[in-house]
Amino acid sequence: MSDVAFPSDLRVAVVGAGIVGVSTAWFLARAGVDVRIVEAHAPVAAATGAADGAVSVASKRPGPMMQAALAGIRLYRELAESGVLDGLYLTRSTFLVAADRAEATVLEGHAAALASVGVTVDPISAARLPIVAPALSDRARAAIEVRGEGHAIGYDIVRRLVHTGGLRIDRDRRVTGLRRAPSTGRLLGLDTDRGPVDADVVVIAAGGGSAALLGLGDVLRPRRGQLLVTERAPALARGLPGAIMSARYLLSKASATGGPPVSPRGYGLVIDPLRTGQFLVGGTRENDAERPVADLEAIAHVLADAVALVPGLADVRLLRSFAGLRTAVVDGLPLVGPVGSGDVRVATGFEGDGICLGPLMGRATADAILGRPSEIDLAPFDPARFTGRMAAA
Amino acid sequence: MSPAPVLVVGGGPAGLAAAAHLAAVGHAVDLVELRPALGGAYHRRPIPGVTPRPIGAESETRWARLVAGIDHPAIRVRLRTGFLGIDGAGCALLDDRTAGRVEAARPAAVVVATGALERVRPRPGWELPGVTTAGGLQVMMKETGRIPEGRILLAGSGPLLVALAGQMIAAGRPPIAVVETGDPLRRPLAGFGLLPHPARLVEALGHLGRIVAAGVPWLRATALETIAAEGDALRVELRDRRERRRTLFADHVALHDGIRPNDRGFPEPSVSAADRPFVAHAGDCREVLGVAAAEIDGARVGAEVAAILAGTSTTASKALARLAAERRVQAVLTRLFAPAIPPTPIAALPRETVLCRCEGRSVGDLAELLDGSDAPGGREIKLSGRFAMGVCQGRFCAHWVAEAAATLRPEATAPTAGDLIGRRWPARPVSIDAVIASADRSDTSPSPER
Amino acid sequence: MSAKTFPWNGVPIAFRDGETIAAALANAGVRTLGRDPAGRVARYFCGIGACQNCLVRVDGRVVEACLTPAVEGVPVESAGEPTEAAP
Repeated sequence: MSDVAFPSDLRVAVVGAGIVGVSTAWFLARAGVDVRIVEAHAPVAAATGAADGAVSVASKRPGPMMQAALAGIRLYRELAESGVLDGLYLTRSTFLVAADRAEATVLEGHAAALASVGVTVDPISAARLPIVAPALSDRARAAIEVRGEGHAIGYDIVRRLVHTGGLRIDRDRRVTGLRRAPSTGRLLGLDTDRGPVDADVVVIAAGGGSAALLGLGDVLRPRRGQLLVTERAPALARGLPGAIMSARYLLSKASATGGPPVSPRGYGLVIDPLRTGQFLVGGTRENDAERPVADLEAIAHVLADAVALVPGLADVRLLRSFAGLRTAVVDGLPLVGPVGSGDVRVATGFEGDGICLGPLMGRATADAILGRPSEIDLAPFDPARFTGRMAAA
Repeated sequence: MSPAPVLVVGGGPAGLAAAAHLAAVGHAVDLVELRPALGGAYHRRPIPGVTPRPIGAESETRWARLVAGIDHPAIRVRLRTGFLGIDGAGCALLDDRTAGRVEAARPAAVVVATGALERVRPRPGWELPGVTTAGGLQVMMKETGRIPEGRILLAGSGPLLVALAGQMIAAGRPPIAVVETGDPLRRPLAGFGLLPHPARLVEALGHLGRIVAAGVPWLRATALETIAAEGDALRVELRDRRERRRTLFADHVALHDGIRPNDRGFPEPSVSAADRPFVAHAGDCREVLGVAAAEIDGARVGAEVAAILAGTSTTASKALARLAAERRVQAVLTRLFAPAIPPTPIAALPRETVLCRCEGRSVGDLAELLDGSDAPGGREIKLSGRFAMGVCQGRFCAHWVAEAAATLRPEATAPTAGDLIGRRWPARPVSIDAVIASADRSDTSPSPER
Repeated sequence: MSAKTFPWNGVPIAFRDGETIAAALANAGVRTLGRDPAGRVARYFCGIGACQNCLVRVDGRVVEACLTPAVEGVPVESAGEPTEAAP
């Protein structure tokens, strides 16, 4: 890397070893920056380790999140082609499936919206569905195939980036605050429960843990997502050519564009056939949930919906249930950008889009630190929109 | 006030003793057992029409006493019902395999009495068909009265191998050899520790006598190194303490390297008396002390749980003293069977040796995962390495993966088997059909008025 | 002597009342139980339902052969696909 537009001895500390923090560190390390990751627990301990694998625009509505998702997919493709994510990023279609007339109508409008931003969308008639996706039940009345989508497992991506970036993670090290020179207010680094960490720039990508560091307690919300994974059923998996998303999921995603808040327990349905022949099935979106633990009621509900769409799942066994607390921002848009003077940056609040957007936002954050132009417009995600609600930094 | 319902998991001696005690003091007890019959491993009952193998007067008396104890109107025995764990809503989840339905129960307490699990060290070829655990062979013998056709080799370490060999000889089907990494005959002094426990000594000597009389080779200070399929047979390579090697051929190899509590994946014991459900572990799943101790411990834990639910306290000094005596017996056996030939460290096994039997992940796969700038922790080894990720959920590999990780990255915080296995429900895979059926009738918790 | 049988991949296997599928198959000399859902060779190992190595399919459902009683006439099949290659 020759275009050094930053001090050659720049030290950056990244707080949080989820996909966003590790991606940020990876792009910085690539540029030759001295970067370290401080993690309160272990890598992928929170949302990244309890996510579905959607690198997808299929459920997005027109707006900045749709644009970001498209850029996120492009970056995954680049990283796969360059070899960095070789074997970990799988290109495939997402099928949005309508089970009744109302859902079919919603689907038509949604297909048009996706097409308007250049996404390749193919409608599939009820007659052709059994040929395209034989594992679907005849309750599926119509579907659209969203092409060029992808699948990536968050913890695999993080592991690969740590490995290829030669990154080191300070585990079990809790950040207690930002350290500033008392006289000048200049950023010196971080205070942690195991001593100070020197840094010229700090990136906070700590999900729910970001709030305390930024004084953003009333801006970030934990939102629980429950998911499950089945044992292997390769024959059934072959009957599903991509991820299956219920058109009803579009309703559950309402708040992603600043719509009304979701009900205490919103249900959506994504059935994701994994390369192992297993199925990853989600899930819920729940406000006011404190513990990342799944419950029978929710899992049974999700599975009942899944079996209604893919009857063969009834004969498969549930292997594991899990839940993640994902950090959402009150207005439904993530928080990416400088906080105050710019020596502290934040990148969090992606809720269910962290896997899709993590590398992209990591690169954008690294570019901003390196003084490089960003490839995407971060303005809609600027934390300044909450100016006045921030206490610290 | 109605007495609180209690769930007891496991139909072995600890579970039966706990259930009997809880019912006797007025609790409504659901006793669940995954198998079609009570008994657990030691007291595995033969199927109808098969004459039970003699297991000694003491054991027969114990079983009769345990069965009599659960003959109580407040105890509902539910066979073919598995315990899946406690979910986020605090419900104890039961997999009723007869009804084909998962149930969410709300007991005040759960006594986990799931017994022990065999330790089986990974070796090249341990995943092959025809290779079983010694306990697996033994329970099949007890249940069916039959021993599989063909040459059977017992290998590993511990008194179970001796007992199994004795039982096979008594049944007229001696094993071709017993391969033992320890050398108990070289440690006669350790054996004196059994003198205060004459029943155990007599039992042990009885099995040994049968092995000698039947001329079965007891190859001590010898390790079974590899197993390979050769034609229809299994070719087994042995190495003794003087580095002498020999090859045996068998049709079945039964491995056993000791036992450990079968507690992984189940909820941890409660620390606070205010927890609901209050969770306690009893018997071998709490501490492996054998069948006699399991009965004592089951009753002790039953009393403790009853006291906690009543808001009182209990003293169990007599039971604790008896458990201490059983612990001394176990310590003697451990000394007797201490390895005389050190086992190959897991990390030093050939790279292609399978660690995870479910997914076929190998020693080499683990070494590759652990190589790099950042040593992954337990959960990352699980997620990215797919160790302990398979359908057995790590019960047979997690300890070995943890051991190997500690060797391969000594500078990193060593992962524990618990990190790898986790405690998410379901503790065992469950039919999706049965999960969906749970929505039909969700509240079927044991009713106190029963 | 009981003459009860169940079909194992179409072949009748004799069993006695109360016997598990695993015990009946072992007695019939069946050592490999076909492929499991992961494509690996299914086989008896721990005998207590913990190792999940003896998975078979009964009534469409995947179950542990060592835990599941044989029932007269109820077909038992390999849990995975016969053609599935081991990973």
